[in-house]
Amino acid sequence: MLTKIAGGDIIDPVNGRLGKGDLWIKDDKIVPAPAGGAADRTIEASGCIVMAGAIDIHSHIGGGNVNTARLLLPEQHAAHQLRPAMTPLSNAGWSTFQTGCLYAKMGFTTVVEPAMSPGAALHTHLELADIPIIDKATLAILGNDDFLLSMIRDDAPSTMIEDYVAWTVASTRALGVKVINAGAAAAFKENVRTFSLDDVVPSYGVSSRKIVKTLQAAVDSLGLPHPLHVHCNNLGSPGSADTAAATIAAADGLPLHLAHLQFYGYGTEGKRGFSSAAARLAELVNATPEVTIDIGQVMFGQTVTVSSDVMRQFSARGSAHPKKTVIHDGDGNGGGIVPYSYGKDFYGTMQWAIGLELFLLIDDPWRVFFTTDHPNGAPFTAYPALFELLMSREARAEMTAGLSRSALALSTLAAIDREYTFEEIAIMTRAAPAKLLGLTDRGHLGAGATADIAVYRRDRSIAKMLGRAAYVFKDGDLVVQDGEIIHYRWGKALRLKPPVDKAMVRRLEDYHQQRYGLSLDWFNFPDSAIAREQPFGEVPCRT
Amino acid sequence: MAVAWIGNREALIERAAAHAASLLSSSRCPVFSFDTDIDGTRAAIALAERAGAAYDHADGAALARETALFTDKGAMTVAPGETRRRADVVVIVGELPRIHHGLVGELAGTVPDLSTVNQRAFFVVGPNGMSVPPLNGGREATRLSCGQASLAATLAALRAQYKGRRTSQPVSNFNDFAKALAAARFPVFLFSGHAAEGLALEMLQGLIADLNRNSRASGLHLPANENGWGSTLASAWMTGFPLRTGFARGFPEFDPWRCDVARMIAAGEADLHLRISAATAQPKEKKRRMALIALTKTQEPVAGAAVTIAIGEAGLDHDAVVYSSRTGSLRSTEAQAASQLPSAATIIRLIATHAFAEPLPC
Ligand SMILES: [Zn+2]
Repeated sequence: MLTKIAGGDIIDPVNGRLGKGDLWIKDDKIVPAPAGGAADRTIEASGCIVMAGAIDIHSHIGGGNVNTARLLLPEQHAAHQLRPAMTPLSNAGWSTFQTGCLYAKMGFTTVVEPAMSPGAALHTHLELADIPIIDKATLAILGNDDFLLSMIRDDAPSTMIEDYVAWTVASTRALGVKVINAGAAAAFKENVRTFSLDDVVPSYGVSSRKIVKTLQAAVDSLGLPHPLHVHCNNLGSPGSADTAAATIAAADGLPLHLAHLQFYGYGTEGKRGFSSAAARLAELVNATPEVTIDIGQVMFGQTVTVSSDVMRQFSARGSAHPKKTVIHDGDGNGGGIVPYSYGKDFYGTMQWAIGLELFLLIDDPWRVFFTTDHPNGAPFTAYPALFELLMSREARAEMTAGLSRSALALSTLAAIDREYTFEEIAIMTRAAPAKLLGLTDRGHLGAGATADIAVYRRDRSIAKMLGRAAYVFKDGDLVVQDGEIIHYRWGKALRLKPPVDKAMVRRLEDYHQQRYGLSLDWFNFPDSAIAREQPFGEVPCRT
Repeated sequence: MAVAWIGNREALIERAAAHAASLLSSSRCPVFSFDTDIDGTRAAIALAERAGAAYDHADGAALARETALFTDKGAMTVAPGETRRRADVVVIVGELPRIHHGLVGELAGTVPDLSTVNQRAFFVVGPNGMSVPPLNGGREATRLSCGQASLAATLAALRAQYKGRRTSQPVSNFNDFAKALAAARFPVFLFSGHAAEGLALEMLQGLIADLNRNSRASGLHLPANENGWGSTLASAWMTGFPLRTGFARGFPEFDPWRCDVARMIAAGEADLHLRISAATAQPKEKKRRMALIALTKTQEPVAGAAVTIAIGEAGLDHDAVVYSSRTGSLRSTEAQAASQLPSAATIIRLIATHAFAEPLPC
């Protein structure tokens, strides 16, 4: 089928296409305007902007810890309205079904679950397979697992470490690798309660820095497109900016992605010993081209923090609201669930301002990524409001009126004039994520690209405009019209398939037999275990 | 071989499914109970949404106690693999379901390789006479009990004594326990809702929290029913809620009392019961004015059922994904004796095609 999206303002920074024009789709791909071709279907897009479907690189949408959070907090996500006929289970609060629908309505077509525990890969993919419409992907967590720590301790050759990383990515069907508070979860099992970049995991004698550098190098030499995704040490503590700064410096010329930098943007100034270090971190990021970051913006209200940083979550138990938590010591990382409410008090305001400062002070939209670390800083449903804050000084000024003045006094936010343009939004939420993840088929509107397209009707309210897309196409299917789901479909989980070394599989089989009393079969699964027609889409490694 | 019946009469599977669908469509208060794999659970919950049904595990009471620990209080838990590799003290809390006895034996037959203490001590909390899973090599777990006091009361006493408080009745062998804890690097408490009341599970978590003030400890959750816990997980991602959720008002509502399916049947609230379990149903007194649709592994119609359709057993007759308490997560298993019997999910979807225009989302 040939579809023409007619007369919209096209915003496609990758192909340098900016301005009024038509966009053509044939089946599931974007195509050049056909010579004299007549469209089977024409979408009237005058008064609209047309962008590629948005890509979220870091949102906790499924897997063991997210599901445990659902179990812990049934009161937080009651469903309300009657179910619409077309969209099964989509009014079930915080369900996989609702997740896909809500993302699609905002024009998001690909979302990455950034914290898949390798042992729970099957569970994670089953959840993702029940998220409709959009494509998904996962990052596999390494760096607190005994197998890796033992290899590092024993000075295993780098090729052996690469074989292990490749096996993990291939067998868990991941799109990349994440390390979360490297070494801290292992140390916590030995009763260590704080852990920094140069601290050493007991029993292994391996520092957090060494784990990060080892994984960064392995990811790079395997040609995995997405650089190592790092959740630094000391998340949330005053003075954590020093840790983030040290980690940025440790990138040392090789690509490195730092997740939710806002949660490390904390200095120790002021009478409460808690201040904004955003300007300092932004300057470091600006000066370090091999580093990319996402923000983890805080927005006000009730949410729940879901993290595989088990040490940090354990220490945050006292701040739980409501007062209940789950802390799990897993095979590698485990994790913690701590419900939390961000108030407009000193601390909440500080965190909110720091996130915005980072967004606005980091110059290059190709290296700063739009996230709330859903649901940790805020649920992803806060995105439209966040877009408005980034694109409108006035919206920021209005918001600050009700916030803590003493916190704002310790931040530079009020002095920042910058307003994101639509072109910058298109880079930050489309082009750059595609590039960072190695997804050459999306993030742009060039001929041959996958027809993931979001059309937004211009409105004075940016939040309204970007919160309810006029039209969304996924793989060429028109899935959203006027902010409502009109067509149900199933996306894929995008994965890498690096070659697996047979000797490594034998080593791992022995290891699992000896240490767990179980064959590796207990952890492997065939694609057919995911009851969808085509559950996975393969993304090539760099060659 | 017959695989479907309407009442006591053999029927084509399509006819039986169509009849089940018409019963479902005309039901005012349908309830589903199941004991099935992940695919079966997904299909059943998707059908429950369409039919406005409440759903629960076929033997939901113990699971509901485990679920309540998470929904009401939270917990500290540890993976089974870490338990095997780190636990230098293992405490069996109350009677464990038989399915977990093998794991306990294995823990007794191995030592923690990630601990500097290369040995494991075993304790058991519970009244005298409570059955204890056999440990390897004729070893015995040290008994921690307050005579015939309940598990919750014993745990409360244990917690109080650990904090140095007086208790009306001291826990037997407490000094041995205190000594073991003082030396332990990672004690693990094995718990289940099988025989433990909610208060006991809560009290245990209180003790674990106390221990974690200065050292490490955690609990290994050994579900009362593995399929049941798998269904709990799938229910959570599909609806946001655990089992005992109902769609009476068109959207999912979690209510562990109101949607207790056994209670709804006993109270005469349900007018249709869809029972999905390869295991043969216990003969229960037939409820008047309640139709039974039985999906079970059978060669004959279930007594009193309006419709019976034969299904295979997950992991035996067909490949399946199930919860495994050995890994603490979902696991893919191959059919051990593949047969022609359809899976529960296949039959549920077939019934749905007769009752509703749109196919189920899963
Ligand atoms: Zn995160």
